[in-house]
Amino acid sequence: MIEIVLRILIYGAVLSGIWALTASGFSLIFGIARILNFAHGTFFVLSAYLSILLIKNLGFNIFISYAVSVILVGLVGVVIYKIMMAPIREHEVMVIIVTLAFALLVGEVLLLIFGEHGISVPSFARGFVEIAGVPITWKRISVFIAAIVVIILLEYFINRTRTGKMISAASQNLEAAMIVGMDVERLFVITMFISAALAAFGGLLYAQVFAASPIFAFKSLIFAFAIVILGGLGSVRGSIIASFIVGYILTITINTLGARWGEFMVLVTIIGILIVRPTGLFGVEE
Amino acid sequence: MMSEFYRDPKIFVIVVLLILALAAPLFLPDAFVFLIGLTYLFIILAISWDVIVGYTGQVNLGHTVFVGIGAYTTALLQVPSRFEGTFLNALAGIPQPPVFISILLGGIVAAFVGFVIGVITLRLKGYYFALVTAVLPLVFIQFLYVWSDIFGGEEGFSVGLERALAPDSTGKYYIAFGLMVISIITLYFILRSSIGYKFRAVRDDEILAESVGIDIVKYKVLSFVISSFFAGLAGAAFVHYRITVGPSLFDIPLMLLIILAAVIGGLGTLYGPILGGFIIYLMKNWWLKSISGISAILPINDEVILYTILIIVAILAPHGIWSYIRLGVNKISGKAVR
Repeated sequence: MIEIVLRILIYGAVLSGIWALTASGFSLIFGIARILNFAHGTFFVLSAYLSILLIKNLGFNIFISYAVSVILVGLVGVVIYKIMMAPIREHEVMVIIVTLAFALLVGEVLLLIFGEHGISVPSFARGFVEIAGVPITWKRISVFIAAIVVIILLEYFINRTRTGKMISAASQNLEAAMIVGMDVERLFVITMFISAALAAFGGLLYAQVFAASPIFAFKSLIFAFAIVILGGLGSVRGSIIASFIVGYILTITINTLGARWGEFMVLVTIIGILIVRPTGLFGVEE
Repeated sequence: MMSEFYRDPKIFVIVVLLILALAAPLFLPDAFVFLIGLTYLFIILAISWDVIVGYTGQVNLGHTVFVGIGAYTTALLQVPSRFEGTFLNALAGIPQPPVFISILLGGIVAAFVGFVIGVITLRLKGYYFALVTAVLPLVFIQFLYVWSDIFGGEEGFSVGLERALAPDSTGKYYIAFGLMVISIITLYFILRSSIGYKFRAVRDDEILAESVGIDIVKYKVLSFVISSFFAGLAGAAFVHYRITVGPSLFDIPLMLLIILAAVIGGLGTLYGPILGGFIIYLMKNWWLKSISGISAILPINDEVILYTILIIVAILAPHGIWSYIRLGVNKISGKAVR
């Protein structure tokens, strides 16, 4: 019994850390530009495929290949923003449709190139350690630590640096930010880069422990939805806290009922929150 | 009367199209008649999606779920023996309603589910509705797999030849055509009524609409219920057209096809999605099949091409082709551009 509880505690923490990265990226770009980026899950799986290409075909060291693929996916995010989102940003319906179409396009191409089977990427660390009789791999521990480090860096960036403060100011009131002379377009581009890079890093961590597949792009997007709705649309801190709640709900569901109930529980969670507290834990009334 | 007939190009075009559609089975091969009939049902999906998205401005990404709800409702009503030995054993003995009643019930059940989801999500900003409806298809398909004893899982099940819309393709074609015409006329009158104008008011400016006394939540939910009803109706008709029901009919590619049809035609125009639905569905099922040879060399298949078209159209011509056609017609007939 203790073994199961401990396993759920640790596995849940690992999963939650990964979702915290992904969901806060999704939340960042929504918060500032009101863009619901349905291609966010695509960035999540794209980095795993990119790093596999770099390691296997070009013989990169794993750390270098991870860094390169995170930066590349961040740049892809910026390019997608420039080509597909910026020209139609005023037209919310079209932004959703175009990003969804892009996500499905990339998913289909990945499916044609790599097939439907998931891929895993090499992990940071090998071996395992026993905690109270439960063997926990160093892989999971290193993934969790990496996720926490990035979350702390993100919090530091948003709350302590000038650019970060500008991003959160523009998220609170875009017009006022423009009036005081902020280059809002530049902030959008920076935020888009960070948002995509966070998803990319989340995806790399996920693919170390589990496996990334083209279909998973859409599923990861849906978990990110649940988290941002629970945390409140546009609130990064809310997303981080909510990802631990959703991460544990998912881990408990998967360990007790089975993996196929995962999405169903997520939907029940979303509907439940929308009935009880529509603005989420930390969302602002609009 | 006659002079007016010549003067209004719209009536002239409609009459020509009606004659063409009614005569088509006489000179087209059977396989095409079958495919065009399916296209008519698909057009119902495109225009009903346009009601909630194009006219009311709420992005519904789960339209196929309502298609599926309509489909499985009618299929289970016709084959209640699927409930035998499951926890819903009590339903196994219910009598089978006539096919057309059962199709109508498919629409009603879909509308009811739309009502429940709409009441919860449409009180909030449009983003929440988009997010929740995006999750629905995954959950719906998961349900079909979990209770595969009832729903037939990935394979689906057959409702039996004797419950087809008609015994041959020509009969099915005319029934599908009739359903489409009834749906178009019904939606035309709803959208031209004061209800339709309120939908557009909600889409264009929620705050302004509310301040002139429109209950915006009520009209958003009403729009969603109407949209879901026609999706369910068409979904149920699909089942009796193809005699089988299965999850492959209602998944994400169909959703994209609906979006593509409505966006290419022009959101919020009614005629646009009819035209778009006709072009896209025939294209997807007819000549795009022949390009599948390319995918051996390049990572391209028919879906990749459709997604690319959608992205390009949405960025370069977000108002769809219908607006260009109307512009052209108005230029020729000398009317002022609205």
